[in-house]
Amino acid sequence: MRNAVRVTLLMIVGLFALSLSLFAHHGAASYDTSKTITLKGTVADYVWANPHVFVKVDAKDESGNMVRWNIEAWNPVTQANRGWSKNTFKLGDEVEIETRPVKNGQPIGQFAGRIMINGKQFKLHND
Amino acid sequence: MSTRLKVSMVALIAGLTLSPVLRAQTAAGDGAKKDKWNSVPPPRTSYVGKKPSGPAPRRDLSGTWDAAGMQEALGTSGALEHPALFPNRKGSEGGRPDETGIEHPLPYTPLGLEALKANKPSGPGVRQVHAALANDPADKCDPLGFPYMELWEFRTVKLIQTANQVILISPFYGNYRIIWTDGRELPADPDPRWNGYSVGKWTDDYTFVVETIGLNPKSWIDHAGRPHSDQLKVTEEFHRVDRDTMELTMTINDPKMYTQPWKALDKLTVHLQPADFDIPELLCSPTEMAEYNDQIGSGAAGEKKK
Repeated sequence: MRNAVRVTLLMIVGLFALSLSLFAHHGAASYDTSKTITLKGTVADYVWANPHVFVKVDAKDESGNMVRWNIEAWNPVTQANRGWSKNTFKLGDEVEIETRPVKNGQPIGQFAGRIMINGKQFKLHND
Repeated sequence: MSTRLKVSMVALIAGLTLSPVLRAQTAAGDGAKKDKWNSVPPPRTSYVGKKPSGPAPRRDLSGTWDAAGMQEALGTSGALEHPALFPNRKGSEGGRPDETGIEHPLPYTPLGLEALKANKPSGPGVRQVHAALANDPADKCDPLGFPYMELWEFRTVKLIQTANQVILISPFYGNYRIIWTDGRELPADPDPRWNGYSVGKWTDDYTFVVETIGLNPKSWIDHAGRPHSDQLKVTEEFHRVDRDTMELTMTINDPKMYTQPWKALDKLTVHLQPADFDIPELLCSPTEMAEYNDQIGSGAAGEKKK
């Protein structure tokens, strides 16, 4: 029961956090809003562009195979307002990113919370 | 079960209470910005409890106006007064063919309803589809046109007044409008234009009323895919409340698509920004959009991975 309460609480807080981000314009329908994963890997590319900024991360899957993930944020203006810039990620950065994956199992996700870059937590204004 | 519900409710209320705090902290962080470029508008919370700013100048709209932190909510699910959502802002995950059951339904004609169903929005709402399956003109970087440009992510706009025009510059997706104030009549049977043909006049010293016709029916009314025909007439009222505040009201009148006129904006408050406010650029680049769709959109909407 206590666990159930904790899970519900987490879900509600999670849902609320999500509601801040839901008002974006592309493809939110594709994401699995019930799930976040922590992706650990190396930055392979960082695209500061419209309609949404995204970062490519090489990360190992459960079987140890390297998989390239594309993780999207919102547009550059919204990201800049949150403290991001074209320099937030650099090629080769070791990152840990809380990610909301797409429903269909492709290695595509949305930023969903905590971001660690080379062992330091990136201070996000809100997300 | 009831304990769980109670805990959830407390958490939800706490979350809702906290959210302005989070946003305020964001602004505090932004305050550290040293240079004068890519200005960040103050959040909505900064205007709460603010005293009236004194009288506005007579017959003057000029300045940089911001919708105050509404940019992420403004019209993403459709016109602000008619979001395509179920009661309590639910139903943003889409999947429905029409808008049955939404909180503020629109008075569609049969033709309007048919046109609505043909428009597939990628924005959150009851009819959202995967980005790759959408046919939103914005997703191809087609011009947003009017009134779409003002009903979706209005953000920050610049109004410039000359002797015979009011010019609206909306850096979101690079839009502009020319509103003639030289007393000319609207054209009788105009060829379509994405931004239409606009004339404006002052109905009193603080109220500017604009009528726009001749709009290209290829554009949408809003991000929820609301349709319009070549018969659309949009009436806007820019009402200067005081020096720092203006209210925008927009009425949609399209007898082909809607059985009666409806308000898309009803006194939306916008706030005057300092004269040195530098509006950031947010353009729709077809090549960037193609890269995004290639890397994110189509993959996300594709078949389930085996």
